[in-house]
Amino acid sequence: MKLPAPLAFIARRLPEAPPSFALATALNLARPKFWPEEDFAWLTGKTVRLLVSDLDRGVNLTFDGQRFRSASLPADVTFGASLEDYLILARRQEDPDTLFFQRRLTIEGDTEIGLALKNLLDSTDLAPLFALLPRPLAARFGL
Amino acid sequence: MTRLPQLICPAGSLPALKTAVDNGADAVYTGFKNATNARNFAGLNFTDTQLAEGIRYAQSRGREVLIAINTFAQAGRLAEWRASIDRAADLGADAIILADMGLLAYAHKTHPQLKLHLSVQGSATNFEAINLAHECFGIRRAVLPRVLTLPQVEYVIKNTPVEIETFGFGSLCVMAEGRCILSSYATGQSPNTHGVCSPAAFVRWDNQGKIMNARLNGILIDRFDEGEPAGYPTLCKGRFAVQGETYYALEEPVSLNVLSILPELIRIGVTAIKVEGRQRSPAYVSEVTKTLRAALDTAGDEGYAVKPEWSTALDKVSEGHQQTLGAYSRPWK
Ligand code: SF4
Repeated sequence: MKLPAPLAFIARRLPEAPPSFALATALNLARPKFWPEEDFAWLTGKTVRLLVSDLDRGVNLTFDGQRFRSASLPADVTFGASLEDYLILARRQEDPDTLFFQRRLTIEGDTEIGLALKNLLDSTDLAPLFALLPRPLAARFGL
Repeated sequence: MTRLPQLICPAGSLPALKTAVDNGADAVYTGFKNATNARNFAGLNFTDTQLAEGIRYAQSRGREVLIAINTFAQAGRLAEWRASIDRAADLGADAIILADMGLLAYAHKTHPQLKLHLSVQGSATNFEAINLAHECFGIRRAVLPRVLTLPQVEYVIKNTPVEIETFGFGSLCVMAEGRCILSSYATGQSPNTHGVCSPAAFVRWDNQGKIMNARLNGILIDRFDEGEPAGYPTLCKGRFAVQGETYYALEEPVSLNVLSILPELIRIGVTAIKVEGRQRSPAYVSEVTKTLRAALDTAGDEGYAVKPEWSTALDKVSEGHQQTLGAYSRPWK
């Protein structure tokens, strides 16, 4: 999926704090259900950036030992992929390693945190998470 | 009809386990979230609750779960390894995969009902070693290191009562497993001490314009030009400058793929075929399991041939540029 040009134009100019905050909030809500036994020690005090490379915009997240929070840069580890490829990953249509081998997914910085995050997402059943998305948005992404 | 080998698939997580079972694995292999597991990576592996659910899922569908406790117990910390063996037995694993002789002895004595497999990390490459482990610890199966040719595998099978499992697909470790010290040399950590080769904590990818550098503990292992497939900086698969030439001096980053010799593996009596990759995602597990299942189901037939769509499916998920028969085929030997 590609964002229509006018939307992309706007997206490129939006601040990053609101979506980061929204994501942190969603993760805090999802945590007891999805990761009841995970202490996120590996993420505590570290910042992860998910960069949507075709928009040059991203979200920045950290874990403070209790909760997910939006964070400011610099990040300890940065993932980069197009919006379309993030959705492909979320739908499990491609293996993240395959996208990495093909240079469609990049990871810079602390590889260990990056792989821990990848492994965590791999081991999570994401379907119920999508059910939490507002319907029109989910439909838009083909979920 | 010829007896088909079991298909053994990797499960680093519960979704991967379920995917493997759904796509036709006869057994999955897994491990705990601790140092007893040679794939002990953050975010990977099973808590006890998840493992119990996984075992229920597989066994209720007539499949098996094998638990790998395949590192070597560290001096002074033996209790952790023994406790993991006890947990695997309590959870009702169909077999456990061990490499350490002390642990084999413990498991054999403490849980005489539990089936024991000799891990590839045990590095048993000849039938004398395998038969000794059989006499001493009653092992039922041995996983052969990826260093033997097909005639050598056949020779081993002819001379042992122990079932033989061989690798069928995935990244290659070219040394007699567990005996390679390349990773230790660069990082101080190696497969048998820390359960990981070329550990992620030492890995850095950095981009210079369109070029991507892959480093291990600061050492440049490989550099990928624009459009070139990227890879993980596993030490033996790097490009090194040797006498003025820069190339894959130790091993090419290729994936093992035995589809073309499945009929041979069946003929010589291999009991099980194993897929590498517990660190990989459920999407990989599903693709590889589906493909190998389809191939195995027809491999006993007259006129079996590798279908192009199988190769395409496997190509996509393989690291590196090509697939190889590895040590199975060494025509010059
Ligand atoms: S460096 Fe290569 S040969 Fe050595 S343990 Fe790692 S994967 Fe195996």
